[in-house]
Amino acid sequence: MSSFLLSLITFSAITVIGVVSIFPLTGLTGLFSFGQAAYMAIGAYVAGICAVQLNMTVIPCILIGVLTAGLVSIIIGIPTLKLRTDYFALISMCLGEAITAILRKFSTVTGGAGGLSNIPNYVGTTAIVISAIVIIAIVACFKNSSFGRMSLAIKNDELAAKSFGINVYSHKLKVYLFTSMIAGYCGGLYAFYIRFIDPSMFGWTKSSEWVIFLFFGGINSLTGSVISAILLSVLPEFLRFATEARIVMYSILILLVINFRPQGLLGEYELSLESIKKLFHKSKKLQGGGNNGTT
Amino acid sequence: MNVTFLIQQLINGLSRGAVYALIAVGFALIFSVLKFSNFGHGGLISVSAFAGYFFAGVLKFNPVVSVILSAVVGALLGVLLDFIAFKNLRKHKSPSIYYFVSSITAGILFMNVLTIFFGTTFYSIPPFFSQPTINLGNIIIAKLDATIFIVCSVLLAAVMLVINKTSLGLALRAVSMDADTAKLMGMNSNAVVTFTFLIAGMLAGVSGIFLGANFTVDPFIGNMVAKGFIASVVGGLGSLPGSIAGALMLGVIEVILTTACGDIITPALIFVFMLIFLLIRPQGISGKFIQEKA
Repeated sequence: MSSFLLSLITFSAITVIGVVSIFPLTGLTGLFSFGQAAYMAIGAYVAGICAVQLNMTVIPCILIGVLTAGLVSIIIGIPTLKLRTDYFALISMCLGEAITAILRKFSTVTGGAGGLSNIPNYVGTTAIVISAIVIIAIVACFKNSSFGRMSLAIKNDELAAKSFGINVYSHKLKVYLFTSMIAGYCGGLYAFYIRFIDPSMFGWTKSSEWVIFLFFGGINSLTGSVISAILLSVLPEFLRFATEARIVMYSILILLVINFRPQGLLGEYELSLESIKKLFHKSKKLQGGGNNGTT
Repeated sequence: MNVTFLIQQLINGLSRGAVYALIAVGFALIFSVLKFSNFGHGGLISVSAFAGYFFAGVLKFNPVVSVILSAVVGALLGVLLDFIAFKNLRKHKSPSIYYFVSSITAGILFMNVLTIFFGTTFYSIPPFFSQPTINLGNIIIAKLDATIFIVCSVLLAAVMLVINKTSLGLALRAVSMDADTAKLMGMNSNAVVTFTFLIAGMLAGVSGIFLGANFTVDPFIGNMVAKGFIASVVGGLGSLPGSIAGALMLGVIEVILTTACGDIITPALIFVFMLIFLLIRPQGISGKFIQEKA
């Protein structure tokens, strides 16, 4: 395979992990985070620094990165998840700015605005694609578990969820921890693949890009968010324009989807064995029952 | 630290806060009517900053005319933004989260269209005054800052007057309470919303040219909208006086932190400040707390 194709696959797999990492938070629990890229930054930097300065091997590096991301998410989550969701969105956005500011400030460790370079190339395309698949599977399990259904209940009506005995606050905290750790893992992979990271890669535009991708695919559908993450990261590469023109193209695309198909590309649809069976069933019915007009 | 220095910092902070206040009020206005945070505002600011550059820098109009023209451009863009990003959503009665995403996308769209035409280079609007500062003893006041402060105060007062005293403002407040009931009472809620976007766009236009004159013009100058967002949350979402107070406070704190701790770490410190502020007073300065579904 050509190296272009390989890097395309890898980057879209990384985007898929990123978008899937906010699915439990935004799609299921209805919390808006514009700072998930900050956790990616934490994961990437911690793993990168461990590897560059301490010469550690890949697994402990990524593990420490993920744990640090989780720790930060608990510290941020404890005070903010009690607040209204708007405030949570705001604080998560400012978290992104704060993290990039800190990364720029402590330049002796992080390389500052110039970025952290010479990160060893520990992960290849295969590892990242497998990780993406595993993470999709984990999140799918999460969605179908009682934990995921509790999240949905909170999204639809927080008060009703509370009256059914769900501890809304601790549940949100758990979801936030979970998603931040996935984002941290994504960051670790990213750092070891691209081998150079700088703070501007993880600003709030990156985080909002993930949210936009999620919406494009349909906020209630994991399949949709995976497909839209792949589509929106691959499509611009094939439409060979200048970067700005590509961004304009997909902003227009997203505006069209939101305006004319507000439930997203796939709506509630999920890819599973049952849904495939149902699809076949439906098409059979359509063929058989076509003459009497009832379907 | 002596007194003059403190006063100087306070003045610098207030003048920066005044620009933030313009952004924050445009932001809060949309929030109070449509109940969502309009990040598309940043796109409007960028485009009108470029319009300001075009009028003042290329066509060499005098500053007053330039400001008025960019306000007009901003107002028209506000209506355009409403048309491309929100009209359909309102028709479908989409949940407010869709407005949110739509507005961010629209903002990105505006900024990147600008990037296509102008690149990411910086443009500077020629200085409005030949003698840029006024010296009062040891205190230096930049004329531009003073002008910004005065124009912002007048504009904000005018907007408050329109909202609180005229029948149009009454309609606006009615729609902000309940769009459907307002419609049943015979109001054209759609027109009222468009009018809100017109005013918000005008404020964005003025803040765009002032931001451009104060710093430099580039397509991503509209990302300053984040400051307006912070100010309007600190002030209490959807409350106009609160967001003005929040913006002034943010400006002062930012200037003081920048001189005390340096430019790079300030965003992190502001974040900590905000975290503490929201913990102590989650309803914001104004205390007006918009209730979600009870």
